Amino acid sequence: MVDVLTVSGLEKRFGGIVVADNIELALVKGRVLGLIGPNGAGKTSFFNLVCGVVKPDAGSIVLAGQEINSLPIRERARMGLARTWQNLRLFQSLSVLDNLMLGPRAYCADNLFNVMLRPGHVTGAERDSRDRAYAILERTGLADIAQSPIRDITFGQQKLVGVARALMNDAQCLLLDEPMAGVEGQAYALIQRVVRDIAASGVAICVVEHNVAFIRDLCDEGVFMFAGKVLARGTVESLIADPQLTELYFGT
Amino acid sequence: MDYVYTILILIGLFVILASSFDLVIGHCGLISIAHPIFYAIGAYVSAMLAKEAAVPIPLAILCGGAAAFVSSVLVALPSLRVSGDYLLIASIGFQLGLIEFAKHIHSIGGAGGLTNIPPFLVNDYGRLSYVALVLAVAVLTVLFVRWLTHGPYGRMMAAMRDDELAFSMLGRNAIWLKVSVFAIGSGIAGVAGGLYAHYFRFLEPDQFGLLQSSAILTMVVVGGMRTTMGPVIGAIVLQILPQAITFFGLPPSILGPLQGLMFSGLVLFFMFARPQGLLAAPDIWAGRKAKAGEPRGLAKGGLADG
Repeated sequence: MVDVLTVSGLEKRFGGIVVADNIELALVKGRVLGLIGPNGAGKTSFFNLVCGVVKPDAGSIVLAGQEINSLPIRERARMGLARTWQNLRLFQSLSVLDNLMLGPRAYCADNLFNVMLRPGHVTGAERDSRDRAYAILERTGLADIAQSPIRDITFGQQKLVGVARALMNDAQCLLLDEPMAGVEGQAYALIQRVVRDIAASGVAICVVEHNVAFIRDLCDEGVFMFAGKVLARGTVESLIADPQLTELYFGT
Repeated sequence: MDYVYTILILIGLFVILASSFDLVIGHCGLISIAHPIFYAIGAYVSAMLAKEAAVPIPLAILCGGAAAFVSSVLVALPSLRVSGDYLLIASIGFQLGLIEFAKHIHSIGGAGGLTNIPPFLVNDYGRLSYVALVLAVAVLTVLFVRWLTHGPYGRMMAAMRDDELAFSMLGRNAIWLKVSVFAIGSGIAGVAGGLYAHYFRFLEPDQFGLLQSSAILTMVVVGGMRTTMGPVIGAIVLQILPQAITFFGLPPSILGPLQGLMFSGLVLFFMFARPQGLLAAPDIWAGRKAKAGEPRGLAKGGLADG
């Protein structure tokens, strides 16, 4: 059991609204943790805090043994933290392939010096990451639409592109924000299989999802959040069987 | 014939300015209209180095470009670190402030202007050689901007324009990208300034004001943002139109304001009637066909569903 991401004493409030109330949580290498809770429980806020989109009031976030509280978003990504977004945030004016091409921790054109003076170096790196992108597109069933603009593909495909783009990071820790919302049919099994495979390759994964069946099938363990607090941790089955938690989830 | 050469040189210079400005405002989405001040910095630095320090003129022109490059970083870095919107304010403040400042520095000619700037090429090889030089730099600039925006660096610009947060979450450095592109565009404008100075041999601070800002902006908008040839067409059309007006024989007191009105009117007209400009081009990055030699030459998918 290797903890890849450890969060302790995490606090954040916006005025009177508490989105993180002393959260203690660890994501373990090779395992999938599900975050369950009603809307407004602080699940997406937890992701935003971990990624650096929102700065915490207190607490520490440790990724692979290094505290990352003060690091900007891009530095956390470059350490192997990747995520998807509830509202996708794909690059609309780029093709599927180009969305993925921007995903590696180190991008071939990050360094302007190389772009200007070592074009051969950049072309080589570009070719390598294109091969990697195609391998991931193949795995996620998107290879046929690699050249399509984002606006020309279905919503389910766009969801998969979001996951595929995050995979380009070769992440140690992957955060998936509602990968199933709006997805039906074939993509369901595909996303399940892809996430399982990634976990098996040694990545620590955390999933926010309202689709309880999906999260039960996928996750090794679940956490129930409410009003910024972690109320319970256990198997997903035990969490959804708990009458008290069910009441909080559905309201009374 | 000299008149034609002068028009050609002005067209070439404005192609350089419009194309490099499109890199900044079109491709990178940085809202700034202070492009002429970097043109001015290049012009003054190059002129002063050649005139007072006898620096060889080609080297002086490059130093002008470098000075514009460095000063643009100093303007962009603090404002972009706060928020992109501040760049517009900071850059206009820098532009108007520096113009006023220059008017009070006697060693660079003050408000009356800097005269007797050493000429380049013209005395030895004739005006046509200078036309060739400026047009060559213009062609190189257009090709450079095309190369930069169609390669991996251009992919970053397109993505950052779309969604800066998602861009950062992939590990990309948005601030660094913006500052770099702003500096590249401004550095190119600085080189154009040096080319201007050693042909016209006279500079005055007021010519680099907001009228010139609106002229360059109009060229990019009318020609077509984010197109290779748009800024070129825009520069040609907007350089020839004001010249055509001069044939009506209007007094200069009307001519100047009329040009300003024409630029603003054209921008408004195009924003409403044809926002994509004269040359409309599809997005550079959306659904590009795989180039020959790419490992998996898949045709454009175009799957609506499935």
